[in-house]
Amino acid sequence: MIRASRPDWHGHLLLIHHTEQERRAGVATWVRCGLELGEKVLYIEPAAQPAARSLLNVLAEQQVVLDGATARGQLQILRADHDLYTTDGLVDQIDDALAQGYRGVRLSAEAPTARELLSGRAHQDLEWATDLLCRTRPVSILCQYSADLARKALPEVSAMHGDGVRETLLQTARLPGGIIVRGEVDVSNHDVLHWALQAATLGAADSFVVDLSQLEFLDVSGARALLEATKSYRHSGGRVRLRKPQHLVHRVLELCRVDEAGGLMVDQS
Amino acid sequence: MTALAAHESGRDVFSHDLLLHDSDLALVQGTRAFVQEGLGSGGSVLVHSTESQVAMLHRALGSHPRLTYGLDQDLYQSPIATLFHYQRVLEDSSGSTALWATGTVPLGEQRAAQDAWARYESLVNEALGPYAFHGLCTYDTRVLPAHVIAAAKATHPHMDTGGERRPSPDYQHPAGFLATPLAGAPRPPSAAPTLVMNLLGVRDLVQGRHHLRRVMESSAVPSPVVGDLLTATNEVLTNGLRHGAPPVRLEVWVQPAKVTCRVTDRGSGIGDPLSGYRYAEPPGPMGLRAARHLCGEILISNPPGGGCSVVLTAP
Repeated sequence: MIRASRPDWHGHLLLIHHTEQERRAGVATWVRCGLELGEKVLYIEPAAQPAARSLLNVLAEQQVVLDGATARGQLQILRADHDLYTTDGLVDQIDDALAQGYRGVRLSAEAPTARELLSGRAHQDLEWATDLLCRTRPVSILCQYSADLARKALPEVSAMHGDGVRETLLQTARLPGGIIVRGEVDVSNHDVLHWALQAATLGAADSFVVDLSQLEFLDVSGARALLEATKSYRHSGGRVRLRKPQHLVHRVLELCRVDEAGGLMVDQS
Repeated sequence: MTALAAHESGRDVFSHDLLLHDSDLALVQGTRAFVQEGLGSGGSVLVHSTESQVAMLHRALGSHPRLTYGLDQDLYQSPIATLFHYQRVLEDSSGSTALWATGTVPLGEQRAAQDAWARYESLVNEALGPYAFHGLCTYDTRVLPAHVIAAAKATHPHMDTGGERRPSPDYQHPAGFLATPLAGAPRPPSAAPTLVMNLLGVRDLVQGRHHLRRVMESSAVPSPVVGDLLTATNEVLTNGLRHGAPPVRLEVWVQPAKVTCRVTDRGSGIGDPLSGYRYAEPPGPMGLRAARHLCGEILISNPPGGGCSVVLTAP
């Protein structure tokens, strides 16, 4: 089951943070969103989490109003261990929460928390399993990767988090038959766009929409990412429609002759 | 005239000649010889100029299936757009038919516009040099100011005099010409800049764009032009951060009807000040080329003390 278009901060998301401040702001928004929706929020921390980095400290600093969420169990901190970090361990936690009557469950952790317990391969397998969970249960998962860590394996990491990327300048989200790209793309993050697109077109039908209506800036490297990331999809017969680019973005698409590439059209309506 | 005769005239694959004339008769004679040589060698020929001059030449030269007449108001709207348009046409035709173009660029009344077209004439040699292109640029010495004629002599490798082609003794390579006072290259105002910012890495680009956008709000430059300058400046900053040596400095001068940006870095500089004028197949190395498309013109210089300085202006 593939869900229809969902608002921000839902599904299996990749948070790429360049600074601790960005990480904290992203986590706070994600938690606030879950609490407001009446979802159960599960947050995994390592056993030896420094107090300053702990979720409760971050939420206090970011002025997230908890309103008794911890006391009534809506927000729960889980300690990372080998039992929890398995597909079964996570499914148990999720099913418990759903049995308690929550309409949805969200789960987040920093990638290094898992990396301390699991091999790289086991962590990858778990990411794929949780990606499936996000499609088969009312579950949202936010995986926090530092930019350095994400860039070490951007192709795989992007593919595992099909619901979208949250990066300093760039956000993506799944759409029926495509993807929406928001924010700004320049040489600092064009690779994030590239791999998000490559991953999204991998299982796409024979047409794919890239909604650019909320993209405010695109540089030449970003235009190149739009072309190259969709190249194999287009070469195997797929058609890409770049929808509603803003004026500034459209100028760059024209300059780079993106609209002349085979299997690609720019749709301004 | 035959292809053999064209060869006998000593032209290379590319030629860019100057015809100075002081009468309509001399203009018609020079243009006729060029048009006949072009048609005789199998090329497509374009005669362009103002409406009245085109009408006169049409009457004198008549019609031919491979001869077209065009108006400067349609074909020569801005120097860099015209240059890239010719380049695109030549690239797309992939040398199947040589293009022969003759006429006078629309110099206008203002010195700034005349200088911009002089730089265009110089850049033709760089941007169109690899193609089967032949230009004969006609300049009327009765009406054109001395600096325009001097620039024309410096920007055309050959001159046509009395029906003969000979190398122009005053010709300068485009990189050299652009640095001469005759080129009138745009410079930043002498006043203190409105904005100064140092960028240390590519993650500072977003701040650079946001500050640039903010300071440009106080100018009356139309927003599409401002947008193009923003994108172009971003490409030049990117180039400096990737290939130069940080910090890359952005200075912006905002005037009521004009915005000037200067980007400098301490690296070894862009080796060729003409980077981005030669054709590059998208999505190849497009950054500087895109900046030139967007901004009309950008001036790259490598000061003697090292480093690289790029000036962009809008409009």
